[in-house]
Amino acid sequence: MLHSKLLFVLVLFLSTSNCFTQTASCNYTLSGRVIDEHDKTPLMFATVYVKELGRGSVSDDKGNYKIENLCKDTYTIIVSHLGCDPVTETVTITKSLKHHFYPEHHAEELKQFTLQEDGVEEIVSVSKKELSVKELNQSRGESLGESLKTIAGVTTLNTGSSISKPVIHGLHSDRVLILNNGIRQEGQQWGNEHAPEIDPYIADKLSVIKGADGIRYGANAIAGVVLVEPRALRDSSGINGELNLAGASNGRLGVSSATLDGNVGKLKGLSWRLQGTLKRSGNVTTPNYYLKNTGLKEYNFSWALGYNKEKYGVETFYSKFNTDIGIFSAAHIGNLTDLQRAIEASEPLESADFTYDINRPLQHIEHELFKVKAYWLTGDIGKLNFVYARQYNLRQEYDKHLPRNDSIAALNLPELQFEITTHLGELSWKQNRTSAFNTQIGVATINQANTFEGREFIPAFRKYGTGVFLIEKWRSKNFKLEFETGLRYDYIYQKVYKWNRSRRDYDSYDYTYNNVSASVGAIYKPNDKLTSRVNFGMAWRPPNVSELFSDGLHHGAAAVEYGDTNLIAERAYNTIVAIDYVNKDFLIQIEGYYNRINDFIYLKPTLPATLTIRGAFPTFNYTQVDAALTGVDLKVSYQFTNHLTWEGKTAFLNAYNLTANEWLVGMPANRFENTLSYEFLKINKLTDVYVEAGIQSVLKQNQVPDNSDYSEPPNAYNLLSTGMGFGIPIAKKQKLIVDFKIKNLLNKTYRDYLNRFRYYADEMGRNYTLKLKLTF
Amino acid sequence: MKTIKTMTRIKTYSILIAIALTTVMVGCSKDDDTPEPAAPSGGGTTPVHEEELITSAILNFVDTAGVQPSVQVAFRDPDGDGGNAPTEHDTIRLVANTYYTATIQLLNESESPAEDITLEVQQEDDEHLFCYAQSNTNVAITRTDSDGTYEVGIATFWSTGAAATGETTVTLKHQPDVKDGTCAPGDTDIEIAFVTEIQ
Repeated sequence: MLHSKLLFVLVLFLSTSNCFTQTASCNYTLSGRVIDEHDKTPLMFATVYVKELGRGSVSDDKGNYKIENLCKDTYTIIVSHLGCDPVTETVTITKSLKHHFYPEHHAEELKQFTLQEDGVEEIVSVSKKELSVKELNQSRGESLGESLKTIAGVTTLNTGSSISKPVIHGLHSDRVLILNNGIRQEGQQWGNEHAPEIDPYIADKLSVIKGADGIRYGANAIAGVVLVEPRALRDSSGINGELNLAGASNGRLGVSSATLDGNVGKLKGLSWRLQGTLKRSGNVTTPNYYLKNTGLKEYNFSWALGYNKEKYGVETFYSKFNTDIGIFSAAHIGNLTDLQRAIEASEPLESADFTYDINRPLQHIEHELFKVKAYWLTGDIGKLNFVYARQYNLRQEYDKHLPRNDSIAALNLPELQFEITTHLGELSWKQNRTSAFNTQIGVATINQANTFEGREFIPAFRKYGTGVFLIEKWRSKNFKLEFETGLRYDYIYQKVYKWNRSRRDYDSYDYTYNNVSASVGAIYKPNDKLTSRVNFGMAWRPPNVSELFSDGLHHGAAAVEYGDTNLIAERAYNTIVAIDYVNKDFLIQIEGYYNRINDFIYLKPTLPATLTIRGAFPTFNYTQVDAALTGVDLKVSYQFTNHLTWEGKTAFLNAYNLTANEWLVGMPANRFENTLSYEFLKINKLTDVYVEAGIQSVLKQNQVPDNSDYSEPPNAYNLLSTGMGFGIPIAKKQKLIVDFKIKNLLNKTYRDYLNRFRYYADEMGRNYTLKLKLTF
Repeated sequence: MKTIKTMTRIKTYSILIAIALTTVMVGCSKDDDTPEPAAPSGGGTTPVHEEELITSAILNFVDTAGVQPSVQVAFRDPDGDGGNAPTEHDTIRLVANTYYTATIQLLNESESPAEDITLEVQQEDDEHLFCYAQSNTNVAITRTDSDGTYEVGIATFWSTGAAATGETTVTLKHQPDVKDGTCAPGDTDIEIAFVTEIQ
């Protein structure tokens, strides 16, 4: 069955080969040995770390190391080993390379191997995919959700053009965890129209874990985890920085973001970072009309301060995210008659011209994160890590119209306001990798309080949670086989305060959850080219307060939604099998998954319709069913010549409601993406020059349950795009990277099934984007 | 030698203290950390600025000749959209071949005393329009009030014909900046279908 499916995918690929991609030649491998400079003995367990990528490898018993998936670029490699001074070398990759490192051994010196890696390693036998440097450059200026779309199997759930949430293997919101600098993002992520409150410019690395990963991060990660990671603070004295500028024609978007990194030479080990982003965009346009009130304003900043020594280190991080997002006015409806009119209209019922002004309806969001991280080496055997974080999230939603009462209107208050404050703490210990076995243990706590003002969409609540986890890994001597297993127990207590309108007081409800997450996996690397992974994960998610307590009209959805206070936790059993094969000129990454979710919570249409003073609305009840999500993600690239590369990506998903024997609603349609790129290593002074053209094909979502939607899912569409980019060295240490792209090249009119405004308006038209990145 | 060591130690400590201080400082800023719900137990304080609701619409009919009895017809959903079903949804029963003047009143009866929303609609009459659509009712309805340019529809004139049974749909459109005298533009604030019997 799977066989024939795979074959089908491959055939489809070949048949759509008039088409094309982006990450071309990142298939290079750096390998070699780590050898003691004095006695020329091979050094095992030496860390070979690529500074720019934040990843690396560890040498085996013969001193052999290997780092895969490198691009044509210059990398700083740091090699460290117990009792050696770290060796830093610059390596330029133009082809797969063999290179030996010779660290100098000082037996009497302290163990200098405090690399800035984070404490505990997560479960790695699930599939983790990261944006390449080029993909990250190309995504600059976009929201976090949009940036992640280049990873096969990741799509977005949009509300208009400015609100975008990552969807992993068909699931999103509360089922996807986002880790902002190692801290689980705690905002109002349950809402479909609530985008992650994160500035993507903080990240030096964006990656996605596809598969249930409840061990390391606790409840909710039943679909996957998004990791937003900044690079490590500077470890040598000096100052460096990065200036990013991005512009887009559609919406006349402008973004500037700067990062400054420093290390105070006199105080060895003290380093700092300052970072800030400003973003402004106006009304965006479809091929035929402007979308009224679709502007966006964002201003973010962050700082970090670290003091790292051999045996201990402390780092503090603070970030503040602020945004005002205009909500497309014509998508505001009073009742079903209005919705029907909007769907039948060929153009939105409210027209507009270009403006940067943001009016009602709008969202104002602030998110604050403060984090302290510390580590302490516990002798030779391991490392103790401590993390504390506080997050404060403010969400204000302003309705389209001011209240009728003039004195209330004069206050111009949001009609809906949530404030959520979260404290997280974690203590973990990781054993050094000196034998085949490796143990990591930890304990984590959460304390959260949510309040609301205005319309009670979700009630106020308090939440306390504690989790303990154990991760055990085993690696064979030749490094070819690795097993891992993880176990976690979580306890969550939640008290909900629901406003009772008739009693004019709060009713309180208590919820307690006790649950176990588990994970078993293996990685097998028989040779340099092939890596295969298999993982079985068991994860869970408690129902969120909107699923428990929704009670009334959801204006955005034109539906009356009822929660169920008796819902129980969802449980996911996720199996994922992934195979990566990398040859000199050929790469294939294929992942198959089967995610069985018991007591999956979803909105079930119910009869009769609910009569209100605005007319009758369809009724939906939060209900639990058993669901199965089965899918395949595939990425293939082939290098025809040294210059010409084709890359293809595809994602297939079947999402089925096993209880009701029908499809699940709101799942991403199957899609393909093909890119053909031509790269020059160097033209005069220009480096990394490329031109590319791509086509993205999204099929029509036909797998929808009957009578679940107001209109049929939109038709399939194909979008062409083209781009080019290069780097120019300006001075010895300064480099400018330029990236230019035209999206929706043919200015095609289309709508997407996973855009909540698909009833009202078309998607964005042609968009020219220019990105400049200056590193110094 | 020893002094150097001591100095290094002092330096180390001062840095750690500096970091700790920043921690505390940031921790303190904007620390409305324990946002208790407005009144988690007892007290009975309402959440700050509860939303504006329309729970009830009442039509009052008066025979212009003063012969037939006056008629009051209501739609009441005191707990707002969703929740409990509407408590009252009357039928419009009017006498055939009669002229009635009618007024509509909107109330928020979740408040005590009830708030009269009609007054607020009247204050913003250039942004609002009541529409009265009918099917099979044998009634001619005309709006008799004006915002200065267009009709509003709080006050209406109903002229009934022969006996019939049908439906009247009363709609309030909110039309800021787009009011043009027709029912098409704007968002719908209320939409109620009343069974209508002319006897």
